[in-house]
Amino acid sequence: MAEKKKSIWKFGTREVVFAAIGAALYAVLGYATNVLQLPGAGNVSIRPAVVIPMFFGIAFGPIVGFISGFVGNILADLLSGWGFWFWWDLGNGIMGLIPGLFAGMIVDYKAVKSLLLGELSVILGSGVGMGVASLSEMWVSGADMNTVIFANFIPSFVSNIVNGLILLPILMVAYAAVVQRSGRN
Amino acid sequence: MDKIDPRARWIFSFAFLLSATMFWNATFLFIFFILAIIWYYFGKTKWKETRHGWFLISIMLFSMIVINTIITGGGAGGVVPPGGHVIWPQKFTIPLVNWEINFGLTVERLWFSLCQLMRLGGISLIFLLIPYTMDSRAYGATFHGLGMPDNVAYTMELAIRFIPTLARDLSVTLDAQKARGYEIEKVKGGIFKKIARIAPLLVPVTMNAIIGSEDVANAMDLRCFGQAKRTWIYPLEYHWWDYALIGFSALMLVGSIVAAHILDLGGFWTPEWFMNLFA
Repeated sequence: MAEKKKSIWKFGTREVVFAAIGAALYAVLGYATNVLQLPGAGNVSIRPAVVIPMFFGIAFGPIVGFISGFVGNILADLLSGWGFWFWWDLGNGIMGLIPGLFAGMIVDYKAVKSLLLGELSVILGSGVGMGVASLSEMWVSGADMNTVIFANFIPSFVSNIVNGLILLPILMVAYAAVVQRSGRN
Repeated sequence: MDKIDPRARWIFSFAFLLSATMFWNATFLFIFFILAIIWYYFGKTKWKETRHGWFLISIMLFSMIVINTIITGGGAGGVVPPGGHVIWPQKFTIPLVNWEINFGLTVERLWFSLCQLMRLGGISLIFLLIPYTMDSRAYGATFHGLGMPDNVAYTMELAIRFIPTLARDLSVTLDAQKARGYEIEKVKGGIFKKIARIAPLLVPVTMNAIIGSEDVANAMDLRCFGQAKRTWIYPLEYHWWDYALIGFSALMLVGSIVAAHILDLGGFWTPEWFMNLFA
């Protein structure tokens, strides 16, 4: 496959549709698993669907990744009746945006280097995204730093990186086959 | 509630969120809480519709207030000063196992948990109402009206339209995989195996959605999407009551900034009468 430089900040018609698909997928899959609350952790649930914004970021760039996470989390929360929690939506958006920053470096989605970059982006994205969302609890619910770290950040970060590290390479390898078959990237 | 413009409702909701989170003073939080109850009442939602949402919110409130504030004290650490008037034994031993528990519940922490209940309860009342009372078809026009670029606002509208299709695809894929012997409910194996077991469901649904989206993008391109200023199927129009609500929201926000940051009235304090209850 010929190496070519991708523009990661483009947001044309295809990106609009991919962002909408990513957000809807995240909402549907997130809704299906939103009831699995982590015991003792405030505002945190186990969602294998977190891999969707990460994957859409890696595949289609940071804007698509951000919208998939941000809008998808809003829709998943609205569908589950959770209401609207802006900072957690923003955190989920960042979780898709940071992997998107790696999109320009990835051409062959099943190459070992690409998979390792993907895994790195999962750790960075989850760390920054959940960090921002968890810190918001200091402002909204008045929690101290210990509570923020142990009740919000660690449960959400660990849950998200475990889901992301396992599922992202599977989606990347599957997408490599789709790209090869369709001839588009 | 249905007659209020969705843009005015989002503005009010955000102004409420920003205003309420400036205070730990119970008097102000009580006013916000009453305001939220009145707002929620105007939504005219039925318990049958919202009970699932309230169940999830009560789990969150239990975790934040009972576990984090009352039992462990962590939730109060950032606001309630250390020390205080202990009303529950500092230490007690669990019979039979002889475990020593350092509990030390104070009057201040108990009052803080009431403040948390009013603040988080008020925010929940305001935002829980949105999915039950706002027409999702108007989301695109609403966010465009609030200043979002056309492309981003349309993405939101498109995402809502895709949800039923993708939910159906998910259900069909699940049935098809089950017919091949796939067992998502299988409890055997550790957490890693359980997550990996999602893949036979996740991969086909995601890849089919991506392949199908090419057709949608081509159709949009053929209709010159993004080439000119967009119009919306459900145009929004402000009425006098919407302006009144936006004005009230602005007043609430400015008043809160003045009270909390200029007059310094936002801080946490425990009233004397509450202290006397435990004297």
